[in-house]
Amino acid sequence: MSRPAPSGYAAAAEETIRSRPDVRASVTAATRNFDANRARAWAEIEPDAWRDWARDVKAHALTHLDRYLEEAEERLRASGTRVHWAESADDALGILGRIVATRRIRRAVKAKSMLTEELGVNAYLEGKGVHVRETDLGEYIIQLLGEPPSHIVGPAIHRSVDDCRALFHEVLGTPADADPDVLAAAAREALRSDFLAADLGISGGNFLAADTGTLALIENEGNIRLSTSAPRIHVALVGIEKIVPRLEDLSGLLQITSRGATGQPLGIYVSLLQGPRREDEPDGPEEVHVILVDNGRTRLLEDDRAWETLRCVRCGACLNICPVYRQTGGHAYGFTYSGPIGAVLAPGLLGLADAMPLPYASSLCGACADVCPVRIPIPELLLYWRRRAVEAGLVPAGERLAMRGFAAASTRPRLFTAAGDVLRHIPWELGGRALPVLRGWSRERSPPTLDRRSFQSRWKEGIE
Amino acid sequence: MSARETILTRVRAALDGREKEAHPGPFLAWRPAADPVPPVRAFAERFTAAGGEVVNVASREEATSWLQSAATAAGSVVLGATLSRELQPDAPALPPESAAMGISRARGAVAETGSLILDARDGRRAQLLPPFHVMVVEAGEIRETLADALRSLAGDLPSAVGLHSGPSKSADIGQILVQGVHGPGRAVALIIGSGVE
Amino acid sequence: MRVALFATCLGDRIFPDATADAVRLLRHLGVEVECPEGQTCCGQPALNAGYVREARRAARHTARLLRDTDYVVLPSGSCAGMIRRHFPPLLAGLSDGARTLGDRTYELAQFLVQVLGVRSLGDGLAGRRVSYHHGCHALRELGVRTEPVRLLEGCGAEVIPWEAGEECCGFGGLFSVKLPVVSAGMADRKLDTLPEVDVVTSADGGCLMQLSGRARRRGLEIPFRHLASVLWEAVR
Repeated sequence: MSRPAPSGYAAAAEETIRSRPDVRASVTAATRNFDANRARAWAEIEPDAWRDWARDVKAHALTHLDRYLEEAEERLRASGTRVHWAESADDALGILGRIVATRRIRRAVKAKSMLTEELGVNAYLEGKGVHVRETDLGEYIIQLLGEPPSHIVGPAIHRSVDDCRALFHEVLGTPADADPDVLAAAAREALRSDFLAADLGISGGNFLAADTGTLALIENEGNIRLSTSAPRIHVALVGIEKIVPRLEDLSGLLQITSRGATGQPLGIYVSLLQGPRREDEPDGPEEVHVILVDNGRTRLLEDDRAWETLRCVRCGACLNICPVYRQTGGHAYGFTYSGPIGAVLAPGLLGLADAMPLPYASSLCGACADVCPVRIPIPELLLYWRRRAVEAGLVPAGERLAMRGFAAASTRPRLFTAAGDVLRHIPWELGGRALPVLRGWSRERSPPTLDRRSFQSRWKEGIE
Repeated sequence: MSARETILTRVRAALDGREKEAHPGPFLAWRPAADPVPPVRAFAERFTAAGGEVVNVASREEATSWLQSAATAAGSVVLGATLSRELQPDAPALPPESAAMGISRARGAVAETGSLILDARDGRRAQLLPPFHVMVVEAGEIRETLADALRSLAGDLPSAVGLHSGPSKSADIGQILVQGVHGPGRAVALIIGSGVE
Repeated sequence: MRVALFATCLGDRIFPDATADAVRLLRHLGVEVECPEGQTCCGQPALNAGYVREARRAARHTARLLRDTDYVVLPSGSCAGMIRRHFPPLLAGLSDGARTLGDRTYELAQFLVQVLGVRSLGDGLAGRRVSYHHGCHALRELGVRTEPVRLLEGCGAEVIPWEAGEECCGFGGLFSVKLPVVSAGMADRKLDTLPEVDVVTSADGGCLMQLSGRARRRGLEIPFRHLASVLWEAVR
C-alpha cells in the first residue's frame, strides 16, 4: 500500500466523507468537546495578554535560535545528557539506530511524540528488531489498529467507543460490551509490564529551556513520566524550534498549551527533566540522550513570511475549531500534521510542491487565527502559500486560463456582462465539460439561477 | 561539517537580516480581577476540580496519624526517600510496582495550577506506579504561581521534577473520561498546616 | 448623505432582487443612493486562490469606480471585507484612494447600525422565527456580529440560536468547486443543525447560494432569503 501523501487529500477526503460517516461523527464530537473546553479555560484568564506574551516569547526564542541552541546544548551536557544533532529524518533514525545497537536495546516504550511520527521512528526500530510499544492510550489504540494519528493531541478521536470495545475485545480479551474504565484498566495492566521490561524509553519534547537544559513534557496519563523514568535509557527527539530561553518561561507556555489543548490549567503530569539519575536518587534512567532535529525546520526558518509557523506549541486548538478538518479527521491530509497547522507546516517542511494541495484545503474562514495561543496568522500564511503555488505553476492550467479570462473581463464591464449572459444559458451540468468550475458546483449542489435582468440593468431602468 | 555546524550555520543564515524580537519579560498570568484567595484554598479548589482529594491537617502528628490509617487500610506501602521518619507509617513495605499505596514528600505546590512538586530524589517509581498516591506538603510551601515555583526550583534541580495536578486520566476512548490509566487513579494532597502565620 | 452601492458580482446577477431591496431600504432611510456604472467584481475569488495579479486588476477597476464617494455600501460581508482589508495592501502605490476607500466601505447591516444608528425598521417581522448565518468575512474581517441580529430583533423577529451559526458554510469562493465534497459536507453540518424557522438569512450571497443550493439538492425545504430582502420586508 502506498504511503498516504498530501497529494491524495481530495480523494481521501471524498472517500472519508462519502463512506465513513462514523469518522466524521467521532471527529466532530471530539473537536467540539475540545474546543468548548478551551473556550471555558480562556474565559477564566485574559487570553489576549497570554497570547501576546506567548507569541512574543516564541518569536524572541526563534530570532535568537542559534544562541539558545548552543546554550541548551551546554546545559544539557553539564547535566550528563548526550546531545546529538540531526539534519534529516535519516540522520535522526541513524543516531537512534546506533544507540539501539550499541546498548543492545530489545524493547522500547514510547511516549506520544508527533516528531517521532514525522520521522517514522516506530517502523525504523521495528525493522531493527526492537519491540516498540506506544504507551499513550490513544497511540496504543492506533498502534493496534495500524493507523497513523488523526489529531495532534487525541490520536484516536476518529474512533468511537464501540471501535475501541471491539479492538480490546479482540486483543486484550475484555468483554464485548465493556465500559471505558474496564478497557482502560486492561490497557493499564497490559502496558504496565511493557514499562517495567523496556530497556529504552522514547519521547519527544514540548519545550526545552536553554538556561537550565530542562526538557519539559506535558501529559494526563502518566505514561510519559513512566517512559522517561523506568527504562535505563531515555532518548528524547526534539525539534530545534522547541527551544525557549528560560525555565521560568515555561510557566506561561505550559499553561497556555494546556488550556489550548484540553482546557486544563495544566496537564495532570508535567515532567521537567535534567539528564540521567544522580547519585542521590533512588531511580531514573542511567543514560539520557537528546537528539536535536532539523528535518526542514531551518528551511522554514529561512522564509521571511512563513517562519512564524515555527511558534506552534502543538496544542491542536486550530484543528478543534476547523470546519474543514472536522469533516475528515487527520488521515486525509496524508501528513503527520493535519488541519490548519498542517496546511502551513507541510509546505514549510516538505516544500510546496510536495505539500499541494494542503494550502488549498481551507475555506479561509479564519477561525484558527482566533484560537491559536501563539497567534500564528494561519489564514495569511495560507494565502501566502497559495500565491507561491500560482507563481510556481503548481495550479491546474485550466484554472490559470480561467483566471486570466476573469481578470480581463473584470476590467471590461461589457465583456463581464456578456459572459454572465452566456453563463445564464448554459445548463450547468453540460457546461461542466467546458468549465470545470460549473461541474465542481453541480456535483454537490443545485445551481443558482442567473437572473435575466441584472441589478445594474434594473438600476438603469429605475428601482421603485 | 558536522550536523551541528550545518544546522547552526543555516540558523544563523536564516536569521541574518531578520529583525530581532525582544523577550516580553516575565509571564504574569493575567486574569480578570477577583478577590484574592489564600494559596491553600486556591490549590485545593484546583486539585479537587481535577479529581484529586485534599486532606488538610493542622500538625505533623495529625498527618502521621492519617497516613497510618490510610496505609493500614491499603495493606502495603512504598515510601518516598525524602519522607521524614516521623511521617513514615508502620505498614508492610513493598516495591513500587507491587505496593498498594505510595507516599511522596512534595517539595512544594502551586496554587494557580493545583500542582504538587515532586522531586526525583524522593523516588520516581514510587510516585507513579502505586494505584493510590499520597503527596505530603507543608502549607507554607504552597506558592501562588507556577512562575514563582519554577524560579524557586532553578537553583536546585534534580534529574527530574514532576508536577502532579490530580489523578491520572484519559479521554482517548470515545471522549469518555477515565481515571487511573497509567499513573495513580487516586491522588491525595496531604497538606500540613494552614499557611496562615 | 451620498452613498454608492456596489452590487458585487453575485448581487448583480444572482441576487438582483436583494440588491434592489437594499437600495429601497437605504432610500427609505433618507439616503441618496448612487450606483457607479461599470461594476464587475472586487477580485476576491482571485485573491483567495492566490492570483494576485488578476485580483489586482479587478480591484483597481473597482477602486477607480468608487473613487468619488462618501460611503460605499455592499449587500455582502465578504466583498466589503475585501475592500476594507485587502484593497489597501493590494493597491499600495497604485491607488492613493484605496486606504480611505476601505475606511468608508460597509456591509449593509453594518452601515445601517454603525453609521445610520438604526435600531428598528418597523415591526414587519413580528412573529417570524429567523436563524442567522454569520458569514466568516463579515464576522472576522469586519467584526460584524451583533448588528444583523439586533436589527432583525428590532423588527420583531425571534432570532433562534443555531449551534453552527458562526461556522463556515463551506463556500470559500473557489474552495466550493475545488474541493466540492468537503464544501458540501460543511454545508451539511450547517443544514443538519438548523432549528425549525420561517427563514434563514445572511448578509452574504455566496453563503446563501451555497446553503440553498445544497438544501435543494438534498430535497430540503428550507427558505433562504438575503438579509436585505428580509429587512425590507420589515418596513413594508
